[in-house]
Amino acid sequence: MNCNVAIVWMHDYLDSELPRDDVLQLKNHLLSCTACRVRYEQLERTEALMRSKMDSPAIMDSEQSARLTQRIVSQFPAKRRRATGWTRWIRKHPAVSVAALFAIVMFSSFVTMWQQDTQLSISGADLAQLVIDGDTVTVPEGVHIQGDLTIENGKANVLGDVEGNVTVIDGQLYQASTAHISGQVKKIDQALDWFWYKVTQSISSLAY
Amino acid sequence: MKSLEARLARLALKGDQSAFAELVGLYQDKLYHMAYRMLYNRQEAEDVVQDTFLRVYKNLERYDDSLKFSTWIYRIATNLCIDRLRKRKPSYSLDAESNDHEGLDGYSMIPSDNRTPESELLLSETQHIIHQAIETLPAKYKSVMVLRYLQDMSLQEIGDVLEVPVTTVKTRVHRGREFLRKKLEHKL
Ligand SMILES: [Zn+2]
Repeated sequence: MNCNVAIVWMHDYLDSELPRDDVLQLKNHLLSCTACRVRYEQLERTEALMRSKMDSPAIMDSEQSARLTQRIVSQFPAKRRRATGWTRWIRKHPAVSVAALFAIVMFSSFVTMWQQDTQLSISGADLAQLVIDGDTVTVPEGVHIQGDLTIENGKANVLGDVEGNVTVIDGQLYQASTAHISGQVKKIDQALDWFWYKVTQSISSLAY
Repeated sequence: MKSLEARLARLALKGDQSAFAELVGLYQDKLYHMAYRMLYNRQEAEDVVQDTFLRVYKNLERYDDSLKFSTWIYRIATNLCIDRLRKRKPSYSLDAESNDHEGLDGYSMIPSDNRTPESELLLSETQHIIHQAIETLPAKYKSVMVLRYLQDMSLQEIGDVLEVPVTTVKTRVHRGREFLRKKLEHKL
């Protein structure tokens, strides 16, 4: 048996892909060829070392894991969450769904209205340290922003510290693991809030 | 029969937040593990996991449940890791090594209750050698080896995740294994 073939077969064997008959042939070769035997033993040990050492369960403790979960779950876009509460509400109140349907027509025109005004605006006490790129406002890593920060029609990308509240209106908020926000984090969707307000209004006008 | 994940994904798509949280619970730690082995940096690994779920959430409508959910989510995560590896400047790994001691094995690997000075030293040395061996693997081999050894995936599953033919995966496993063997030769 050729040594080059033997080397390919060694790998196939370690991948559990070598047919039984070939395994016997390989074993015979390894018994007679020292170079291949040494190589096979090294490959086998590499395999064992990688498997055992790569998988260290202590790599993330439960505290880090919980913090990460918290960070991921808090990132969910507010829109879909809002929409669910709303659908459930319609299901519970079929009588007003006609009014709601009417409101949906209104809603879409409001959305268009809101979307026409999509200029990014930022307000806060400490804006000099922010990095603005297109519609993304970044609080760079290691930077401390004093006071509240409000971002409208844009994406907030928080990598550093904010000593105050962060409010995002009609936009997205991304918090990196390095981020620290001492105050409250609020996401407001104006179009939906407006819509909600309109729906409650039309319901009360129907009731009386 | 639908898998648990496919069912959770469908509920999440309907707006069920707790179903999505359950998906996070099922995959978060596994993904972190994989990303950490690819990037050897805690911060980046966390960011990749977070990004993965954000993409999952945004693309739930497009999830095709003829594909295993795990294949889909690992595909998103490995692509994010490979992107990061490609963006790294050549000097990065050197910088990371000197600055990111917290991420550099040894200390963080050992459960805190047996963190004695001896075990720390012993572990960190082996871990360090393995770390260096994996670190120097090119991205396309690294992803294959991490999925193979850490996630214990079959060659077929790895091919599905990386969207390459099984024969390619096989070649990469063989080459990757030879590469690691040479790196570890004197320590074996
Ligand atoms: Zn031979």
